[in-house]
Amino acid sequence: MNEESTSHPDSTAASLPQGCTLSRRSFIEGVAATAGLLAAGTIPGLLTAALPAVADASEGSTTLTGDEVLDPILEKDRPLRYPGKPVYYADPAGKQKWAMVIDTKACIGCRRCVYACVEENNIGRNSGFTYIQVLEMERGKIELESATLDYEEGGKPDKWYMPVQCMHCAEAPCVYGCPVKATWREPDGIVVIDYNKCISCRNCMITCPYDARHFNWVRPEVPKEEVNPDVPLEEKAFVVEKCTFCVHRTRNGQKPACVEACPVGARTFGDLSDPESDVSVLLKTRRVIRLKEELGTEPMIWYVG
Amino acid sequence: MTEATAVRPGVKRFIGIDWDFGALKSAGRTYWSFVAMLSIIAAIGITAWIIFMTQGAGVMAQRDGFTWGLWFSNYMYYVGLSAGGLVVYASVHLFGAEQFRPLSRLAVLQAGLLVMIALLGDLTDLIRPWRTAWMAITPNPTSPFVYTGSAAAAYMVLCFVDLWILITGKGGEKLAHRMTLIALPFAIYLHTTTAFVLALNKSRELWNTAMMVPIFLTSATASGVALLLICAYLMQRFGVFKFKSSMFRSLSTLLATVIILDLFLLVVELISVFWPMSAKPGHVDRMQMFLTGPYAWMFLPVFVLGIGAFALLAGRKTRHLPKIQIAASVMYVVAIFFKRYTLMSMGFALGPLGQYHPPYLPSLIEVFFALGLLAIALIFLTLGAKVLPLQVPEDEHAHGHGASLVESAPERAFEAG
Repeated sequence: MNEESTSHPDSTAASLPQGCTLSRRSFIEGVAATAGLLAAGTIPGLLTAALPAVADASEGSTTLTGDEVLDPILEKDRPLRYPGKPVYYADPAGKQKWAMVIDTKACIGCRRCVYACVEENNIGRNSGFTYIQVLEMERGKIELESATLDYEEGGKPDKWYMPVQCMHCAEAPCVYGCPVKATWREPDGIVVIDYNKCISCRNCMITCPYDARHFNWVRPEVPKEEVNPDVPLEEKAFVVEKCTFCVHRTRNGQKPACVEACPVGARTFGDLSDPESDVSVLLKTRRVIRLKEELGTEPMIWYVG
Repeated sequence: MTEATAVRPGVKRFIGIDWDFGALKSAGRTYWSFVAMLSIIAAIGITAWIIFMTQGAGVMAQRDGFTWGLWFSNYMYYVGLSAGGLVVYASVHLFGAEQFRPLSRLAVLQAGLLVMIALLGDLTDLIRPWRTAWMAITPNPTSPFVYTGSAAAAYMVLCFVDLWILITGKGGEKLAHRMTLIALPFAIYLHTTTAFVLALNKSRELWNTAMMVPIFLTSATASGVALLLICAYLMQRFGVFKFKSSMFRSLSTLLATVIILDLFLLVVELISVFWPMSAKPGHVDRMQMFLTGPYAWMFLPVFVLGIGAFALLAGRKTRHLPKIQIAASVMYVVAIFFKRYTLMSMGFALGPLGQYHPPYLPSLIEVFFALGLLAIALIFLTLGAKVLPLQVPEDEHAHGHGASLVESAPERAFEAG
């Protein structure tokens, strides 16, 4: 017993410097690998920590057609817990990787995207939520805590606006949080919910950092003449729902309702796997940010200002 | 045991337990009026549940801002309270703390019932409870919900199996000891996974701290031991049980120790959040509401009652008095309720997009759910105290120290019964 107890601190003391050299070595290796891959013109998708630095470096040197901006994004863009179950009200997923870019400089806060979305997606008029929430913020501030959601109709010229909705994250916390795999990420990057499986535990709403998921506390009511037959309505009673990138439209070659409704063209929607698509060009040529990117959720909506 | 069975005709044998239904017949008016009162509360709870099932989730006060409500804080609370039973049970059968032996059956029954109402409380929140079957069919391994749910269900079964083993004496002291070796790590697992449901969310800054797990363990133990102490006093008061005063002394010492640990961890968390170079804005913003603003009234009692309870139990001259012990226990059981409630509701005070929500107060329907479930557990406990042989036979704890005697005593009781 005594021997053991005396040898114990020794062994920890011995392992300590070893651990240090190990981490130093791996750090140097990481730097070397980053440098090597940079020279080769590709960005390793696995080195998450090194990514911001690498992205900055590449942005300086990139030409307008540099596809290396898209590569790490596409690498992370994968189906998540995809059960192979089709979304019954939409076509099967194609080869596209859907993404959206929102121009906050253009956005005037008119909320027309919100209204178009409500009508398109059969959101209960009594449900008390919308898929899109537009944040009104003071000039010169990106501070969610002081943002206003219920601002006056129309929008003011001395404020700026940031629409937030489901980001269709590549590392979606909600998909990880769902206890029954009732929500997943399709091969084309759209996070969907199986309304007939959701047990209404609302854990996904807890895990979502964007407040993008909403629960139908009441049976959703939509005036008969306004019901969109392409989207489920009855099934959404007492389950969680959220933005689907208008899966029933986008897979038929149409644009999401919010993109179509925007009067100033602040929203751009498209296919990331196509390097010539509008979103790809925007990501390659403009300085873009993502909301709460530090959480590592890899959201598929970018903001450009 | 043989005499008892021979004298009372109401005793029926089922699954190896002597169910003393005769005791119910001889029970007094107070006993039955208490049971009747509980039944009425339970009936109100069931009515509330029917209203909820027919009218939908809108009858609850929870909304998108308050994704979870009273049912969840009660889940944490009851799961935590059940820890006390296990601590006592483990002390007897693992660490040989003989003074707790008379309490062991009651403790295990109480733990089982508490976990039962914790799970039932979860179900009352789901408008389609049958869909929870998916938790077993397609469980998602990355969701902490799956772990805490299955752990609670298994733990409840474990508690009732333990109770059965203790009453029938099957397998003797050896099996009771082995069951403890299973139950103790399992209880820690249950509390840890319950804490993980909150702690493993990077979207909620207030909960996203590793400190959540040890705090859950200490809060659970403290409130559980406190509740057990209250329960033991009540049972003694109604003449169901007789305990030695040394048992209460040990319980209250244990309680004081865990209370101070619990408060210490809480203070550590507060310091790590508010220390200037450690403060993360999101975390500070949310935790500030613990101390100021409309949420403070839920959290400040945690400190006031907690420190008060410890002070009562620390007083050298007064700590052996039953009244002091009961007062401290009640204070801490209440304090932990507030702690769970604040922890849950404070997590929603600022949404993920930073939007402030005023404090959540449960609707009447939700309160009736909670009261109804509590009444159901109390009915089981009240009936169990009469019908089940919860009192540990005298010969068993007289010979508790000798291993060979202990093994033979329950065997004898079993054969005789």
